Formats: sequence, C-alpha cells, structure tokens
Amino acid sequence: MKIKHTISDNTITISLDGELDASSSVMLDEELSNPSIMMFSKILVDCKNLNYISSAGLGVFISHLQRFEDAQIKLIFFNMQEKVRNVFEILGLDLLMTIVSSYEEAVTIAND
Amino acid sequence: MPQKDRIKRLSFFTASVSWVLLLVNVLLLAYQRHTGEETLGQDYLSNLFSVVFILSVFTFQRFRLEPHATAGFTKPLWHLFVKGGLGAYVCLLLNVGYPNLNLYWANPYLLDIFYQILFGFLVYFLGKAFYTWRQFILYQKTKDLQTQWKWFEILLYVSLLVPLLNVEYMKFIFLMLDLALLLAYSVYMSVHLRWVAFLSLDRKWGSIFLLTAILASVVLFGNFLFQYSDSPELVIDYTDNPFILLTLAFVFTYTLSSFLVAVFSLPTSKVFEQKNADLRNFQRLSQTIQQGQSEEEVYSILFDSAIKASGADSAWLETGEEGRSGIPPAHNEGAEQALMDHIKSGLTRAHKERGTLHQDSIFLEGDLRHNPAFVGADLPFYSLLVMPLVSTKRKYGHLYLLREVEQGFDQDTIDVVQSFTNQTVLTIENLRLVQESLQNERYKEELKIASLVQDRLIPKTFPTDTWFEISTYSQAAKEVGGDFYDFLQLSESRIAIIIGDVSGKGISAAFHMAQMKGIFHGLMQQDLLPDEFMVQANSALSRCLERTSFITSALYIIDYKMQGVSFARAGHCHTLYYNSMMEDTFYFQTEGLGLGIMRDASYAKRIHRLHYDYNPGDVMVIYTDGIVEARSEDQDEYGEDRLKYMLSQTYHLEAEDIKSAIINDVTDFTNDTLHDDQTLLVIKFKQRQPNN
Repeated sequence: MKIKHTISDNTITISLDGELDASSSVMLDEELSNPSIMMFSKILVDCKNLNYISSAGLGVFISHLQRFEDAQIKLIFFNMQEKVRNVFEILGLDLLMTIVSSYEEAVTIAND
Repeated sequence: MPQKDRIKRLSFFTASVSWVLLLVNVLLLAYQRHTGEETLGQDYLSNLFSVVFILSVFTFQRFRLEPHATAGFTKPLWHLFVKGGLGAYVCLLLNVGYPNLNLYWANPYLLDIFYQILFGFLVYFLGKAFYTWRQFILYQKTKDLQTQWKWFEILLYVSLLVPLLNVEYMKFIFLMLDLALLLAYSVYMSVHLRWVAFLSLDRKWGSIFLLTAILASVVLFGNFLFQYSDSPELVIDYTDNPFILLTLAFVFTYTLSSFLVAVFSLPTSKVFEQKNADLRNFQRLSQTIQQGQSEEEVYSILFDSAIKASGADSAWLETGEEGRSGIPPAHNEGAEQALMDHIKSGLTRAHKERGTLHQDSIFLEGDLRHNPAFVGADLPFYSLLVMPLVSTKRKYGHLYLLREVEQGFDQDTIDVVQSFTNQTVLTIENLRLVQESLQNERYKEELKIASLVQDRLIPKTFPTDTWFEISTYSQAAKEVGGDFYDFLQLSESRIAIIIGDVSGKGISAAFHMAQMKGIFHGLMQQDLLPDEFMVQANSALSRCLERTSFITSALYIIDYKMQGVSFARAGHCHTLYYNSMMEDTFYFQTEGLGLGIMRDASYAKRIHRLHYDYNPGDVMVIYTDGIVEARSEDQDEYGEDRLKYMLSQTYHLEAEDIKSAIINDVTDFTNDTLHDDQTLLVIKFKQRQPNN
C-alpha cells in the first residue's frame, strides 16, 4: 500500500495504491488524523489503483466521516474500481459519501 | 570434608604439643649446661621435636590454604600479614625489651625461651607464607607448573631429614651443592607472578603496601634468627636447619619479586583495566537481550562504553531511522547544539571534498582546526571520529566522538568503538526479532481465543421442521474472525434468522459478535420487525462499538402460516433467491446501511424492510462477503454472478446438497486458500404439512 498526496490551494488529493487492509489502514488513519489535514476544505481520494478495501479500511473512512462533515470539509472519492465500489454500495456507504467517476467531476463537485 | 578437618585438628594438636616439648627439652638442656647435672634433655630430642613441629605447622597450613585461589588476592595477603607477619613485630617488641629485662632479672634461660618463641612464630609465618605463595604461583596453573611445584615441595621436605641425621652438612660439598640447587629452584619458582596482572590499580597499591609489610617481617625474622645464633647461652640454634633457611629464602625472593613486579606494572595497569572494562561493556551489550532491556538502554550502554573506551571529551549519539516515528533518544555529553551543527555541516563539506558520498563509512579526522572543511568554526577540538550504526538492512544512526588533542583516536580505539557499534546494531536487531516473535505469539494466542469464542457463538443445533430445510456452513479464516449467524424461534409458526459480519479481527471482533448475539436475543423478545430491530440494534451498538468498527447484518423473519419472509439488510450482502414459480434466480436489491456507521436517529431513514411471499420449492441463500469476495490465485473474485449461476444449476437439490455444491465450487475456485471467514446458509421452503 502506498499513499501519496498532492496539494493545491485548499485541496488535498490523496492517492491510494494497492490493497487497503488491516495493516495498511493504520497508515491511512495516521494520514487522516494529522491535524494539518483540517486546513483543507476539500479532500479528494484517488482510488484508481486501489485494488481491495477491507472492513478495517472502510472503518478508517467511516471514523473520520463525521469529523470532516462537522468541519465542513468535503470528502470525495473518484476513479473507483467496480469491485471496490461494490463494497461501498453493499454497505450503504455510497449514500453517505460522495463517489464520482472522474477527477474532473470530483473537482466540479468540490467547487460547488 | 571431615578428613581434612581431622588432619587440620590433629596437626594443630601435634604442633602445640611438640613446641611445648621442645621448649621443655631446651630448658632441660640449658639447666644441664649451667649446673652440670644430668637431666632427661637430649640434643637429638630437640632436633626431633623441632622437625615434628615444623612438619605439623606446614601440614596444618597445607590443608588450610587450598591451592585454588579466587581472583581476590589482597585478602590472602592481608591474612598472611596479620596472622603470620605480625609475629615478627611481636618478636621486635621482645627484642627491644630483652636487654632491659636481662639487666634486672638476669636469667640464663631467658634467651632460650625468647628464641623458642621466635622459632614458633617464624615457623608459623613460613608455613603460612609458603602455602599462600603456592596459591599465588598456581593461579592459572599449567600441568607442568603443577608438577614442578610438587617436586619443589618434596625436595624441600627431604631437606628436613638433614637435622634428624645430625650431620654437619656444611662439611659435605655434595649436600651443599644440592642445597644450592634447591635454592636456585626456589628462585625459579618465584618468577611465577601471573596474579599481579589481574590486580586493578587500587588493589595493586594495596598489595604493594602489604607486600612491603610482609617483606619487613621476613627481614626482621631473618635478622633475629641470625642475631642470637652465636650467643653462647643458646642451646640450640636453627641457622643450620636447611629447611628453615630454604623456605625463608624462598619466601623472601617471592615476596621481593612480587613487590618489584607489582611496582613496575603500576604504569601499565590502566591499560589493562581499560581493556577489561571494554570487554565487560561488550559483554553487557550482548547480554541486554536476555535481560529484556529496551533499545534505549542498549544505546545508553553503547554511548557510555564508547566514551570510556575512547576517552572522548565530548560526544553525542544520533539515532532514529527513516520510517520510524517517535522521538529519537538523545544522548549528549558536553556537546552543544551549535557545535553539533558546525560539525555536521563541516562533515557534509568534507564528504563532498573527499568525493565520498558514501556517508556510512567511518569518518576520522585528527586535525580538525586545519581542515579546510571545518575552518572558521573555531572548534575547541582537534580530533573527530564519526561511527555509523548500520546493518545490511537499516541505518540506525551515528555516533560522534570528539577529543581535544590532535590525532586523538588510534587504530586500537577505533577497532574497539567499532566492535561496540557492531554489537549494538546486532543487539538492536535481535531485540526487535525477540519482540516481534513475542508479539506474534500473543497474536496467535488471541486468535485462538477468538476462534474459540466464535465457535461457541454459532449454534450447533438447527431448527428442524417439516416446512423448510436449512443447511449451514461456516469456516473461519486464520486472520479474520467476525462472521456469525443465529436462529430464534419467535412463536410456533415464526422463526428469526440473523447473519452478520463484524469488522476487525481477533478478540475485539469476537467480543462484538457476542454483543450482537446478545442484542439479537434481547431485542427479539419484543418481537420487532426486521427494520425496527436494525434501528434499535444500531442505537445499542453506537454506545459500545469503537469508532472504526461497524457490523453488517441481515435479519429474516419467516412466517410459515402466512408463507412469507420479511427481512432487512444492514450493509450485509444481498440475499440470493430462487423463485420456483417463475423459475428465476435473482438478488434482492434493497438498500440498508451497516450498523455503527451512523450513530444517531437519522439511521432509521437508511434501513428498509422487504416482504416476500414464498412458494414451496423456493430457495433462499444467505452468506457473508467471504463467499463472494473469495479470490482465486489470479486475484479474481468469485462474485455474485457465479454464485447466482450455481444456484440456478442446483435449486432442485436438497438444501444440504445445494450448500455442498456451492462450497465445493468456491473451494475449487480459490484452490483451497481462505482469505476471509466464509458463512453460507441455504434455506429451502417446502409444502406446508401439518405438524404431528
């Protein structure tokens, strides 16, 4: 699992590469728990290379969801693979989180 | 050792008796000489008693002082001085007092008594000294040395025979030669002085002091022995006893040589002590693993040992690897931040100038102030040694040592410091391995408990009835443990079935499973509808589930009187269904959010109830994601489509066979590798028949 981030203005784009399982979710949790992330108003998550997400990985996003919502930070997932998206859908997370197909769409929604 | 004790007691007794007899005999002889009267006193008796006395004292000491001495040498020296050497000083007092006493109380026997007391003290001292020196000579002995000593002892004892034979040995040239050879032998024995090397500096000073005192005793004894030997009043004199002379000579030479060697080895002691300390520190480093100490302690030992070994005036240790969080342990000995910055920037320049970009080699500079890379920093130091802490896998940090003198680090010091750092790296790596294996062990234990809990929570008996068949399958993966299912008979015609998957693994997952089971049994007493149950379960779990955990679940209530199923899905996998009337296989696509994701009242909006009237012959397949997310070797997922296809091929079979067919297919697909827990329930509805 590799986590990369690119920053522009008030947007941080986090790219996830590999499998997000119990061990790698700790890294992601550290990344999202970092206080500096609250300085951004938009968090875009690039899931293009995310091949698998376990319940622990989902748990990390769920645990931070409320915090971001309270701080009015937009969390948007894009480029999600079909099987990963399926996991989000089955769990009902697609109704709670914003999942779009492309980066452009993500930027547009973020700027709304 | 009762045998030894007996010998010691016996020899002590013989010594006392023979000395008293000797004194009596000497006095009788003196009386005979003064008065001319015949008495019982005989010259040969004096010789016999003295030999018996010497022999018993030596035997006593021989068994008292075992030849296997420990490394503590000052204690035996102290004992020798206090118990033996002080006799000479007692004789000194007597000697000082003797002329005065003789003036007032002229007694012809006084000198004889004094001489016998002196003889008693002397023999005791010689015996003690002789066997104390044996301990010292035989310290770290070789086989040869042991043999040589044995012969030395035997030959010395043979010389005891001379006075018994009552020969004037001085007249026999061959005897003289023999004795001279024996004297040479004792000088040779005196070169065995290994023990001196094992003394620390403080102990060496103590030993020198004691040796001086013992040497004074030897000289005093010898002086008294010869001072009165020519007195006409003396009946017997021991200066012609070769044994006494030889042992006295031996004790004198050994004491003197020990003293000289101790004095001249004083300047080198510090070096030996340093080497010993290095060795001990090295040992401490390797022992830290067994003692279960932390990495911080290992670094501390390295830091202290390296400073001591190199005599550095200032030093600091930088540790902390890439990719490891936490505050690196700071070790600093008289180095300020500004100095550290200067050195480090100078170091970078020096590396550049030398063209050695490879920074993980030892850096040594003996003339810092004139090195262009460090010029301008105005450092109070001349010598710098930078030792990297590296293994083949990782870099652990750098050790910086500074000295005020030029060329302050010699090759020997560098070697020692390097072996310290190597050992440290090894110790740290081993320490981590040990911790890792402990962690694994604990984890395994936890999983064992978790799977035990899981096993207990899953029902072993299934509801049996005439209107449906049910077949279950449950397989826990090694790493993940969170699947569960359960049944509850609500009334005669209604049964509730729950299935779920708890996120997380190990104990915590098993714990939440147990909670979920409790919630199911508790809440369903109120005969709730599936969606109502989910709302209440969500609210109950919100209070006990940690933030990153959630549970997916689906609840089915089957009513066979009404021939209907109502159910709700909370983030759980879709339900697969075969409708026998339509001959159609499909998934119930309902919406529903997992439990514990939204922890407020708004959850109620996210859950839906579905009701479906079943027909006899319909099949319902309930499962967890371990089935559809089962992966083949090529990382393909088993998927919903394949599961659906399997049911469409097997719906006509009995529930048990449908289950077996699906599980066999999944196992074939994954080639028997299990990534996640797998749970599968197959329910086949049958024609309603009256219960008898």
